[in-house]
Amino acid sequence: MTFFQRRQQPDGTMFTRLRLTYFNVTRTKTWFPVFFFLASPLVSPIVGQSISDGLSPTTGRVDFETEVQPILKNHCYSCHGPSKQESNYRLDVRDRAMKGGDYGVPPISAGDSKTSDLIGYVTGDDPDMTMPPVGSGASLTSKEIDTLVRWVDQGAAWPEHLSGKGQNEITTEHWAFQPIRKTGPPEVGDWPEAIFPIVNPIDQFIAIKLKEQGLTPSPQTDPVSLIRRLYLDLHGLQPTPESVLEFTNDFSPAAYESLVESVLEHSHYGERWARHWLDVVRFGESTGYEVNRDRANAYHYRDYVIEALNQDKSYRDFVREQLAGDVLGVDEATGFLVGGPNDIVKSPDVNLTLMQRQDELADYVHTTSASFLGLTVACARCHNHKFDAILQKDYYALQAIFSGVQHGERVLKNKLSTAKKAARSDKLAKLSQSLAQLAQWRTKAAQANPANGPALEAVNPKHNTDHFNPVLAKYIRFKIQQTNSGEPCLDELEIFSGGVNIALASLGSVPSSSGDYANNPKHLLKHINDGLYGNDHSWICDQIDGWVQIELPVISEIDRVDWGRDRTGTWGDRLPIDYEINVSKDGKTWQTVSSSSDRKPFLVNGKEPENAFIARLSGEDATAAQAAFADIVELRKQIAELNATNPMGYVGVFGPSQEIRRLHRGDPSDPREIVIPDTLTVMGTLGLKAQTPEPERRLKLAEWIVDPSNPLTARVIVNRVWQYHFGTGLVATPSDFGENGFKPTHPELLDWMAWQFMENGWSLKWLHRLILKSSTYRQSSTPRAAPARLDADCKFLWRFPPRRLEAEAIRDCVLQLSGKLNPKAGGPGFLLFEIDRENVHHYFPLKEFKPEHFRRMIYMTKIRQEQDAVFGVFDCPDGGQTIPKRNRSTTALQALNLLNSKFMLEQASFLKGRLERESGASVERQVRHAFELAFLRRPTEEELEDSIDLINNHGLAAFCRALLNANEFLFLS
Amino acid sequence: MQEKINSVRFNRRGFLGTAATGLSSIALTHLLSENQLLFGRKIEDHPLRPVIDPENPTLQRAPHFNGAAKNVLLIFCAGACSHIDTFDYKPELKRLDGQPMPGDGVITFQGAQGNLQKSPWEFKPRGESGKMISTLVDRIGEFADDMCFLHSLTGKTNTHGPGENFMSTGFTLDGFPSMGAWTTYALGSENENLPAYVAIPDPRGTPQSSVNNWGPGFLPAVFQGTDFNAAAPIRNLARPDQITAVRDRATRDYLKRLNERHLEKFPGDSELAARIASYELAARMQLSVPAISDLSTEPQHILSAYGADDTENSVKAGFARNCILARRLIENGVRFVQLFNGAYQTGGEGTSNWDGHKSIKKQYDVHGPILDQPVAALLKDLKQRGMLEETLVVWCTEFGRMPTFQKGASGRDHNPAGFTAWMAGAGVKRGFSYGATDELGYKAVEKPVTVYDFHATILHLLGLDHERLSFYHNGIERRLTDVHGKVIRELLI
Repeated sequence: MTFFQRRQQPDGTMFTRLRLTYFNVTRTKTWFPVFFFLASPLVSPIVGQSISDGLSPTTGRVDFETEVQPILKNHCYSCHGPSKQESNYRLDVRDRAMKGGDYGVPPISAGDSKTSDLIGYVTGDDPDMTMPPVGSGASLTSKEIDTLVRWVDQGAAWPEHLSGKGQNEITTEHWAFQPIRKTGPPEVGDWPEAIFPIVNPIDQFIAIKLKEQGLTPSPQTDPVSLIRRLYLDLHGLQPTPESVLEFTNDFSPAAYESLVESVLEHSHYGERWARHWLDVVRFGESTGYEVNRDRANAYHYRDYVIEALNQDKSYRDFVREQLAGDVLGVDEATGFLVGGPNDIVKSPDVNLTLMQRQDELADYVHTTSASFLGLTVACARCHNHKFDAILQKDYYALQAIFSGVQHGERVLKNKLSTAKKAARSDKLAKLSQSLAQLAQWRTKAAQANPANGPALEAVNPKHNTDHFNPVLAKYIRFKIQQTNSGEPCLDELEIFSGGVNIALASLGSVPSSSGDYANNPKHLLKHINDGLYGNDHSWICDQIDGWVQIELPVISEIDRVDWGRDRTGTWGDRLPIDYEINVSKDGKTWQTVSSSSDRKPFLVNGKEPENAFIARLSGEDATAAQAAFADIVELRKQIAELNATNPMGYVGVFGPSQEIRRLHRGDPSDPREIVIPDTLTVMGTLGLKAQTPEPERRLKLAEWIVDPSNPLTARVIVNRVWQYHFGTGLVATPSDFGENGFKPTHPELLDWMAWQFMENGWSLKWLHRLILKSSTYRQSSTPRAAPARLDADCKFLWRFPPRRLEAEAIRDCVLQLSGKLNPKAGGPGFLLFEIDRENVHHYFPLKEFKPEHFRRMIYMTKIRQEQDAVFGVFDCPDGGQTIPKRNRSTTALQALNLLNSKFMLEQASFLKGRLERESGASVERQVRHAFELAFLRRPTEEELEDSIDLINNHGLAAFCRALLNANEFLFLS
Repeated sequence: MQEKINSVRFNRRGFLGTAATGLSSIALTHLLSENQLLFGRKIEDHPLRPVIDPENPTLQRAPHFNGAAKNVLLIFCAGACSHIDTFDYKPELKRLDGQPMPGDGVITFQGAQGNLQKSPWEFKPRGESGKMISTLVDRIGEFADDMCFLHSLTGKTNTHGPGENFMSTGFTLDGFPSMGAWTTYALGSENENLPAYVAIPDPRGTPQSSVNNWGPGFLPAVFQGTDFNAAAPIRNLARPDQITAVRDRATRDYLKRLNERHLEKFPGDSELAARIASYELAARMQLSVPAISDLSTEPQHILSAYGADDTENSVKAGFARNCILARRLIENGVRFVQLFNGAYQTGGEGTSNWDGHKSIKKQYDVHGPILDQPVAALLKDLKQRGMLEETLVVWCTEFGRMPTFQKGASGRDHNPAGFTAWMAGAGVKRGFSYGATDELGYKAVEKPVTVYDFHATILHLLGLDHERLSFYHNGIERRLTDVHGKVIRELLI
């Protein structure tokens, strides 16, 4: 697939209208190059349908589609095509190609190659203006030039259907949409190698910028700080004193490299970095909103992310699986789609329901585009994007991709146990045998005398008549066993005596039923005999099998019942297809006077029920076929039971795609034209159709996202990784690479990393290694006044920027220090609440903690709106929104929680126990050991004295409580 | 006014210039860095982003212009309090009582509607204005001459969770900053010993959207509401019982020395300094919050006036104590107090809040008395102390209720098409009513306004331009009022 594939727009008029709208609200200067030639007399090329239709290719005659356009595509489009228009000129749209760009002269004179600048450019008449540029390696061959010359001389015919009219005319010069530049690092020149050795290209790019800014780098940090930084960054845990000792004894480059390897290999890496991704994709384990019910099986997605990172799954697969794991054999990955909140409080109010669905779709579109592309597409829900080249239509085109996605649980096919898999396939095999048998009986039935079958026509929604021998009755009951869909609906039940309908309420007949459909004034019991037809005057049963009855005022002789689902012919659902009519004189003894077995089978989707043919068999044949069918029913039940106990995941369910229309101002009650599933207009097309089936839409989008020519995907993920290592990304707005976001501080570095990341198998661990080994990462974090004055934010990385740890890392480090960290990985999370599962779920923080609660915090079941009682206040997101970058605030509540909460006091006492166990009774040894564990260093004399003093006067627990609150313990530096 | 704007817009460079060490605050720049984006807007449209001192992020800051109000006391009736049975008098409803609603059958949140139903409570003319107010809120009604009614509010949703979100945060979705968070983000606080923003949950529990009502959304956590009430203190505020005061002090002193020694290695790093400062604020709060929550210093006549000593109705007494607490917080300079009346559904709809679907008479006869006397006493108390001069009192709920009873029930369903809120105090007209619903109270027909307008007006009263108070998040300069809102100028003095 070509990335910037030409857009096939089936509905040109619609597009034109949209484009005009767009024109009004955006900055036309950037996106719509000024057309210089509108006022000047135009050398009219011979264009149009008539020419191309009239001339079939003959010898010497150049065909635009097969000969010319491929040349333009291969040599010109990259600078003058859909994504980029150097000098405001483009060759993929006929009118624009003919009119020219900034240079002011139409470059194609139809019929005259000699005066056509385009030919001049490609032949290199003017060395400065040779196209493609000399040295680009894209120069045209003489044969190709000859083709172009002949094409122009023959009249430059450019068929209408390839004119590109109305296509792709939205353009942008915004940096993030330009192709990734594949250029190596620059030479640094003079540089203090002694304090900042250039280890890899990252250092070159950083060094150049520092020099440009008049900044100097910081020296490399000491080994202890380095190993601590590495562990906190990659594991969110401290290194053990033993690993520190081992490393500091051998601070050679090889030692550091092997340290990096071992840290990356550890499963703690996935547990730490999955948290970052889960923030980005707003993963939570409850519905949020009003009722906030927990989602017991959502954890599979978390496990998937952790595992994917630990296995260093290629980022391409990571993206593909999250969007279409259901068809890629990784069911749990689609937890990505439905990881967000959804409002499950439904109502008969249709406007509310529509808005709820719109919010769900917006969540899928926003999360996908923000996470993978760094674009704020959801801003275009109500209007064209205010800043970026994103049309409102684009938003709905993406909605159409996800229109079949619903919240819910699905069987994780790839997680079935072997035993169950075997049982399941065994039953499936038996089922297929039985079905084969049934097929044989069906063949036999087909050969049998058709007279054996029922004679009456099948039921129909509009009007059915059941004749029977005259019978005396006071009660007439219409009993339904099966419908074509939903609870049965009858708009009128008529009972005839001597040709007169005596069932009417106006004649004194009284209706009753087994139960009525609630809460809808259109569907009431009294409608069954009110003499009015149509859906608005009908009765619906409260369940599929039920009955409705008429009690006549007196016993009467009747011989006919007429009924229908909707006499006006509008509705065809809810039709009784298996029914009987029973009559009684006393309401106690009943007899059946007519039933559906007298009729031909009703065809559902053009087919009769699969057992209907049995009625056409006779005697033993019918009995045997009936038995085969009973087996099938039983096997299906067993398979369904097996499925029911299969591992389920809250990973979304996929139904057929729904028709998506653009909503005027995002208002669900104001739908406009239908929108075909696609990606952003400015970035090309997926080439999907209105009929493209559901999974293919998502798969195609995924393929397009991870296409190496997509300028955003690699840049965005590389930038995220950079941000989590250094605190701030090269682009400081990691989910917004648009006009409103920040520009990269180091655009060349960003591109180089994105390029190399793709070249190296889209491997995240490759990228980590590169960053971790750089001198840039290994700089000291000690502040220096001079550079701080110039670059307070440390945007240019003149030191390693220190920062407070996040909620999860703090909790994990506390547990690690107290010796209580429970290493259990994966599976259902631990819950820090008691849940009161009323309609609205209520959560009460636990008061007592058990070892299961001492697992790493990533395994804490993430309940929206309900934060962990101690650590939630450390800017911990709750999954209500995508969080590409956490806030880092400092509050008194944080201090109070760390000082006084039961959890922390308990941990302090565990730490006390650990120190006593590991260091004996000597207070000095306890202090030294504690400093070693918490800060990875020896206490100074002053600190030692101060600490011993505190312990002597107030006990070891007081000392432990203080340590757990120390800045040094809580900061990554 | 221009001067004020300049003082607020003093930029990051200005701040850094004043920093003693010349080294920037990491936390400060972190807060600000994403807030530096200006896009082709005219100067007068530029966002006015407050400058936050990381060592004291709730330090008082100047408003955009001189506002009438310094603080806000917002009373939120959770569960959707019926406007038709309280402040929106509909004589026509009385006349048409028992008749079907004109027009097509209306489908609302829970389904079909029965017949029109007059309010079970009588309405009486009040004060000089003669405003008709129901006996359900009889004592509050006596302050009609001090109140400024907004009868034409319209909402965007008819479910509680999103409705509460909308009223409290301007968005029906979860995860957006609450009005109080925006206010403290903009203005900080006058009191350095108390939280800048306090949410006081009802004695019966938290409302449906729970912490979302006072959450920080994507604003820094420091601007969230701190929730406590007269009965339940701030979590982890108190020194643990097993630790003596002396030991606690010694431990904190030791910690401070430890942190200060560490800071020497990172001179001027204000994120570290801010953490040291936060422990000091925590210590001050340990003294100030219990003191302010200790109502034993209130004279008996005040307790009685609020109903805080009502031994017959413990929920009312609890809510009354919360009202007194609210007054004390405002008195001590807390910027924004959000006082909840009603909690989430438990024991069935409308049992513990204003969600009167089933039997409105029976249910509201429980909730009315809990609200009425304490809030009336609160208004009187604020007035007597002259606090209404600088404090804006706001009363609101998530949406209104239907003029009909629900089919098969004797209660009213949700109705966001027209409902009532009122304000009193700083900057708003007294004894004034704005807008109207139709003669049945079903839809806002005269001067309809949105919740965005309501929010814009409250911010305006605080001296804040709702279009310029913003925070960059996920690609958008986010505002309390999204891209909507218009100050309702007719309400202003």
